Amino acid sequence: MSSVVPVAVTGMGCLCAAGADLPSCLETLFRGERHPQPPTRFGSGHPVRYPVFEVAARLPGDDRFSRTARLALAAAREALAAAALSPAELAGKRVGVCFGTTVGSAMNNEEFYRQFRDGEHPEMDAIERFLGSNPASVVAREYGLAGPCQTVVNACSSGTDAVGIAAAWIRSGICDIVLAGGADELCRVTYNGFISLMITDDTPVKPFDRRRKGLNLGEGAAVLVLESEEVRHQRSRPARAFVAGYGSACDAHHLTAPHPEGTGLKRALAEALTQSGTSPAEIAFVNAHGTGTPDNDRVESRVLAAVLPGVPFLSTKGYTGHTLGAAGAIEAAFTVACLERGEVPANAGFAEADPELPVTPVREATAVSGRLALSQSLAFGGNNAVVVFERGEP
Amino acid sequence: MTLRLAIQGVGAVGAFGSGTQALRQALCAGEVPVGTLQVPTAGGALELPAYRADTEPLEEFVPTRALRRIDHFSRLALLGGYLALQDAGRLEADRSRLGVVIATGYGAMQTTFAFLDSFLDGGDVCSSPTHFSNSVHNAAAANLSILLGATGPSLTVSQFELSVPTALLTARQWLAEGRVDAVLLGGVDELGAVLGYCWQRFFGVPDGLLRPLEIGRQSAIPGEGAAFFLLTREGEGGRHGLIEEVRQGNLGGRPLSFAAGSRLLLGADGHRDCSTLYGGSLPVDARAVSFSPLYGSLPVGPAFDLAVAALAAGDNRLFTPPPQGANGLPCALLGAGPFGEGALNCLKLGRHGDYGLISVVRG
Amino acid sequence: MTIKEKLKKILVEDLNLEDLSPEEIEDDAPLFGEGLGLDSLDAVELVVLVQKHFGVEIKDMEEGRPALQSVSSLAAFIENRLAA
Repeated sequence: MSSVVPVAVTGMGCLCAAGADLPSCLETLFRGERHPQPPTRFGSGHPVRYPVFEVAARLPGDDRFSRTARLALAAAREALAAAALSPAELAGKRVGVCFGTTVGSAMNNEEFYRQFRDGEHPEMDAIERFLGSNPASVVAREYGLAGPCQTVVNACSSGTDAVGIAAAWIRSGICDIVLAGGADELCRVTYNGFISLMITDDTPVKPFDRRRKGLNLGEGAAVLVLESEEVRHQRSRPARAFVAGYGSACDAHHLTAPHPEGTGLKRALAEALTQSGTSPAEIAFVNAHGTGTPDNDRVESRVLAAVLPGVPFLSTKGYTGHTLGAAGAIEAAFTVACLERGEVPANAGFAEADPELPVTPVREATAVSGRLALSQSLAFGGNNAVVVFERGEP
Repeated sequence: MTLRLAIQGVGAVGAFGSGTQALRQALCAGEVPVGTLQVPTAGGALELPAYRADTEPLEEFVPTRALRRIDHFSRLALLGGYLALQDAGRLEADRSRLGVVIATGYGAMQTTFAFLDSFLDGGDVCSSPTHFSNSVHNAAAANLSILLGATGPSLTVSQFELSVPTALLTARQWLAEGRVDAVLLGGVDELGAVLGYCWQRFFGVPDGLLRPLEIGRQSAIPGEGAAFFLLTREGEGGRHGLIEEVRQGNLGGRPLSFAAGSRLLLGADGHRDCSTLYGGSLPVDARAVSFSPLYGSLPVGPAFDLAVAALAAGDNRLFTPPPQGANGLPCALLGAGPFGEGALNCLKLGRHGDYGLISVVRG
Repeated sequence: MTIKEKLKKILVEDLNLEDLSPEEIEDDAPLFGEGLGLDSLDAVELVVLVQKHFGVEIKDMEEGRPALQSVSSLAAFIENRLAA
């Protein structure tokens, strides 16, 4: 693998529990604020109430679409506006859509299935909604986009993979523009699932902290508009950042636990750094996966210590929860925004170092200098994905 | 993007059985046994005609103990994957630079519902973590990577009937960029009672005969299975021909253009609405055929279409069409004959103008 | 059926240990690593199965780890909880 042409990011959109758009999210992050609460949109028979990070914002679209699809639409709208891409500007260009999700592609409507099991012969609305709510397709149809359309269902690395794949579409010349992102909604089914794995925390999540007990789920969406240099210069748009490199590798170890040595993550990091022509010392900071589970944080911190010694890192999941298929995209948006700002927020939830972990995340908002940063994701099933971003020209 | 992909191995499991020999036999016979799927309806339990796939041959490759938590969906994927590696003569090959790509329309549906059962039956505290872990769409790819020890990148894609062509774009990308030296790519979809229920609600009950080229007629029969390919960069030989071009996107209201005399292997699978799309968009001088009567209608049908095209390229023969029904296309049927020069274009048309095109040529 | 017998049946049936019969599982054989060779996913599944079949809750893996060592230790844990 050799060094590649960087791909410009010209606009971003983001919504999650931290805010209804990217500026609001950043404000919340840099205020160090978070408000995880037990879920309000669904009930639970669990005796313990596990905190989650819900999106409060109103969403575009209506209930012909799933909540995940509507989150995707909201983020896409903000990103296109930020990139100054009107429908007229999009027309006639080869525009692709690449989105990560988990819930967005799951046919798991509880009410429908309950009725089916009970022999009540349910109506097909829930199924029609499911069939009409593939996140990448929904965004493509909304804007009349004719390029390739791909929904990545790689669990927790989906959003990072979507950004990496989208950049490759631009580089290889099959697209002029790609909307790359991820979206996922909170739902009872995944709530029950993660609790059953005993990797959820019944208190607000504490990434990398000694007292961490597991993750808090979250929901949200983010979109990055990627553009070819040709189109970007035609439109005279500045690049907020560049996708400089992407790496992806599988642990091939276990369905739910990461490889104890983090072998897949190391390979993905090596690949992303090689592709971006960067040495670890040039990385200004790392947006870590940092879910707050004992296993993830232990493995991830060991890899960070070994591969990126001395590089500041943080998990933003303390502010957003684990947004599954959206996480990689939301964290990509945060990584670009922090690069622009020259500052990273505190790793919310971290107070006490764990002697088992060789490194600690940033404890307070910290200035960072440097042109490059990276975001990494470790997925259920063992896939690891890393994206390297380079700051755009001021 | 001009990298051509060599198809080194094909592995398929469906109602025709498993392996390329079984698929060739079905191609020669022009038919396969159609089974049934039991579905609860308002009028009582119904036996819906369905193309069922059996994964027992997986035991040739994986010991039973290792399969104890592996569901039907993952077993289909595993069998397809191992068969493709075997067909390529690469069962013993190094897997450190092997990528895995899985395309699926509906994912591990049965396990998704088994997970719902676990808490609908016993309360939320009885949710089964094993079912949950296996219900995520990428579980099959994870299981495949783990059993194979494949440490390259892994990707699962879900784009309904365009899942396979879009997944191929990424496989090609990885090979072009040198991230991997080979990709194991496959499409997998499974049947289940819930799908059967939805089917008969949307489409009624099939009469048991899939007539893909009868435009405007609903004759689709649900199917399940897996079709996998071991793909490398061109230049390493190509047992089953080359994938010359992959395109996926939306027609945007414009018709696809084809060179005169194009040969098309259509993803027409007996669904009325989609059949009208084929009826309306093919040039009169093309020749077209569908092999869906051999595997049924499923979102990853294009993977099976590609398997047939790959065998055709490798064997240098265009197979005799299975019964198509009365040809309602504007163009003639693509009959048997040598594959020869020129491409065989696997074309899938989806809702809202979505399309996928995979062109196969001889190596 | 004693608790131990029921546990062995659950191990074979619910964890799909097809090549074993309940009688073949020794009371004190380690369930994880050597012995039965179960893993972390089986551990959390067992927690749910204990809840489902006995109504006994294992709150977290700190509590779970010692209890899940063997059929004997798990049976003792369950008996203890049921008596309380």
